[in-house]
Amino acid sequence: MLKVTKAGYHGILLPELGIGLDYSGTKAEHIFISHAHADHVPRNKKLSVYATPPTAKLMKLRGFGGEVKPLEFKQILETNKAKITLYPAGHILGSAMTFVESDLGNLLYTGDYRTPPSPATEGFELPDADIDIFITEATFSLPIYKWKPEKVLAEQIRNFATQNLAKGFTPIFTAYNLGKAQELMYILKELKHPMQIHGAGFKLCSVYEDFGFPLGDYETYQRENCEGKILITPGSALGNGFASNVKKKRIAYCSGWAANESRQTQLTVDELIPLSDHLDFFELIDLCKKLQPKKVLITHTPNPKIVQHYLDELGIVSDFLDLEETGN
Amino acid sequence: MSPQSVHITSFKLLAETAQSISSTRGNNAKIKLFVDYLSELESDKDVELATQFLSEGAFSSVSGKRASVGHRTIATLAADFCEIDYEKVFKPSKTASGSSSETIQRLFENIPEARAKWKGENLTLQEINEVFESLYITSKRDAKQQILLDTWKIMTPLEVKYFIRILGQGSLRIGFETKSVENAIAKTYSKELETVRYARMISGSIGKTAIMAKNDTLDEAAFKMFSPIAFMLASPIESRAVTNLSEYIAEEKFDGMRCQAHISDGRIELFSRDLNEITSSFPEIIEFFSGKQLPDLVLDGEICVFKDNTILPFQLLQKRMGVKKPSKKLLTEFPVLFISYDVLYKDEDPLFDDSLSVRRDKLEKISNKYSIPITSQMKIANQDDVEELFQRALDHGNEGLMLKRKDSVYEYGQRRKSWLKVKKPSGSLDTVMLYAHAGSGKRGGTYSDFTLGISVKDDDRYEEEFIPIGKAYGGYSDEELKKMNALIKDITLERFGPTLLLKPNLVIELEFEDIQINKRTKAKYTLRFPRFKAIRWDLSPSDADTLRDVERMYQQKIDNERLRQGKNPSFIF
Repeated sequence: MLKVTKAGYHGILLPELGIGLDYSGTKAEHIFISHAHADHVPRNKKLSVYATPPTAKLMKLRGFGGEVKPLEFKQILETNKAKITLYPAGHILGSAMTFVESDLGNLLYTGDYRTPPSPATEGFELPDADIDIFITEATFSLPIYKWKPEKVLAEQIRNFATQNLAKGFTPIFTAYNLGKAQELMYILKELKHPMQIHGAGFKLCSVYEDFGFPLGDYETYQRENCEGKILITPGSALGNGFASNVKKKRIAYCSGWAANESRQTQLTVDELIPLSDHLDFFELIDLCKKLQPKKVLITHTPNPKIVQHYLDELGIVSDFLDLEETGN
Repeated sequence: MSPQSVHITSFKLLAETAQSISSTRGNNAKIKLFVDYLSELESDKDVELATQFLSEGAFSSVSGKRASVGHRTIATLAADFCEIDYEKVFKPSKTASGSSSETIQRLFENIPEARAKWKGENLTLQEINEVFESLYITSKRDAKQQILLDTWKIMTPLEVKYFIRILGQGSLRIGFETKSVENAIAKTYSKELETVRYARMISGSIGKTAIMAKNDTLDEAAFKMFSPIAFMLASPIESRAVTNLSEYIAEEKFDGMRCQAHISDGRIELFSRDLNEITSSFPEIIEFFSGKQLPDLVLDGEICVFKDNTILPFQLLQKRMGVKKPSKKLLTEFPVLFISYDVLYKDEDPLFDDSLSVRRDKLEKISNKYSIPITSQMKIANQDDVEELFQRALDHGNEGLMLKRKDSVYEYGQRRKSWLKVKKPSGSLDTVMLYAHAGSGKRGGTYSDFTLGISVKDDDRYEEEFIPIGKAYGGYSDEELKKMNALIKDITLERFGPTLLLKPNLVIELEFEDIQINKRTKAKYTLRFPRFKAIRWDLSPSDADTLRDVERMYQQKIDNERLRQGKNPSFIF
């Protein structure tokens, strides 16, 4: 089986193949970036990396200074030691799982992913192969996390907007400005009501449009005329005067963490909408069951032990890939 | 779920209403939700139960009943129900959600093994009440667990969540406390809020109050002799800013036992702070009052050991507390005196609504006419007066000072800032005994080491009612140890080898040298050299000091040390 090393905060390194996954160190010849969220994009801005075309564009817009070589989904890249293919991960636009095949065995690295996929993504697709090593994120790795179907959540989102607009309240959705914000817009666009999005998210929207995901009637947030529009912003902006001139407003917090009731009082919001861009605990365990990989490596999780406990019971070998441990 | 499928008297509808209240922001909107719910209820019993469940718990506060089912018992039982590992799966889930009952709700919804077991059968409020009653009368742990399991199987997870919270007899944590329930009752039945509040105070019961409001009989909520009313309580002065001290008077705070005396027509009864009757323990007080041809009276005051013209320490009074028929020897050695500081009822008239000045005036007249001991009242104008009087009180061997607002009414059952207590900073805490540990060596065979806890019941950082603050293994006499061991048998909930988990019951006044921060403990504080100062048989766990008190004491200590910098600075520039 392939050797997988933790590289501290620098991501994952496959030393035998010279491959880095969401990696920002100097020991890899080929680096693959799963998606454009900051915790997966190299901090070393001089690196040359591979990513899907949407991810490449998003990374550039968010200030990545290195070179991004576009690699289409399912377009095979061959190095002298391995064959690499990107598969859609369903997390945000352009998000990809990296499938590495070599003489030493294969490996599937999920990055962040969601299955069933977000509607504002290219979908979710697995390689048609038996997996040796499955490196999976496990952000919501507790059985208290089980998502409602997308259809139900989309309805809750649209209802929140229409009901509050009808009562004269400006609906505000707080969501991360890349991915969740655009998914909300994609869901809300059928209301045909004007939307305004916080500037940091606004500049990313055109990439969605360019890749075939129309986001409806939207413009960048303008304080003077935001009242009565559907507003989308990162939660942090609310504390910095976002729409503070609007007296009648209602706030919905959209995140997987909204599944915890305590978030409502912690954040003082009117509604919790547990819309996540990660898969839930049961989906994770089911996927492992379906893939039956030789080994599961768990990463990006506050609770690795609980996943291991369930995988143990399924007879699936697993280990925790601790990204935070200092690598060499 | 369509509204017509849920019957108005079902517990499910109450749970759904509570959930809506929880997720709605704004007090008025919350109250409206409960008003809408309450106005549909027809029978008195349902009105009583719905209001009681939401604001007092499974049992009415006056009943003094508890289900006595521990948090751990519920959590482990729920884990079994879901067929999951308690340590590996339940605990981290609870940590993530921050609420045990919410975790249970979500696991029951999510986990297929659990989902297969429950089927909501729309239990009524009265059926749920019967379940609570059966939990109360059942003393065996297995039997209690069986009742819980049987009930959970016919409830929806949302009902289970609220069932557990109501069972805890504390706040439901939906941002809807007693005041809001009173408000909703007033609105539902078009009554004045103050009338509702008064009726609740007098009756001590939100459920009975709701019935009276519904039936237009709130005026029947009147004070009755020989049914005690909740004591007015004092806030620590440190936690409240006092803007105008001259509006207060000062009295010395005795190191005694709070007591309410009801006197009418030769009949005399005494009630303790937790409203239990304690008449037979203090025959000399009865004798003292009965010789005086008194009018009908209710007096609020303090019982102290008084000998050779001196008030003796609380530790000596303890010899008398809980002793139903004190021996002649005990009576001679530790004679007690009732010192009054308030009069709540005289002749035909309740005096709660009179100001303290008016009540004091009446009390002084009674005292003069019948030679009844009352506290001395001292005028204060500023902080210097307080300091001086405080020192004098300490010199007298008393605990400190009470500051009382002259224009305040008797706020029964309330702890506001009309009464303030000035006590010596740090030194002792009223704690609740949580665990008993078997002693070794000389103390083998008895439980001699104890883990004591403070209250975090109203602290939303914690799930529990009490958390440990320290372990003590000294400061008690052999006789007290024997007595505690006898009681411990009755209040043991679970046994872990040499350690017993106890039902919160016994209040221990704990003395210590210092408070220190210790991040590894649940409370984040530890006490240095904790030891028993007194077993407070007169107090109940609801009187225990809170984590906030500990934090305040710690802060005060820090502040004090900073003040000293003035005279003896640790740095110069």
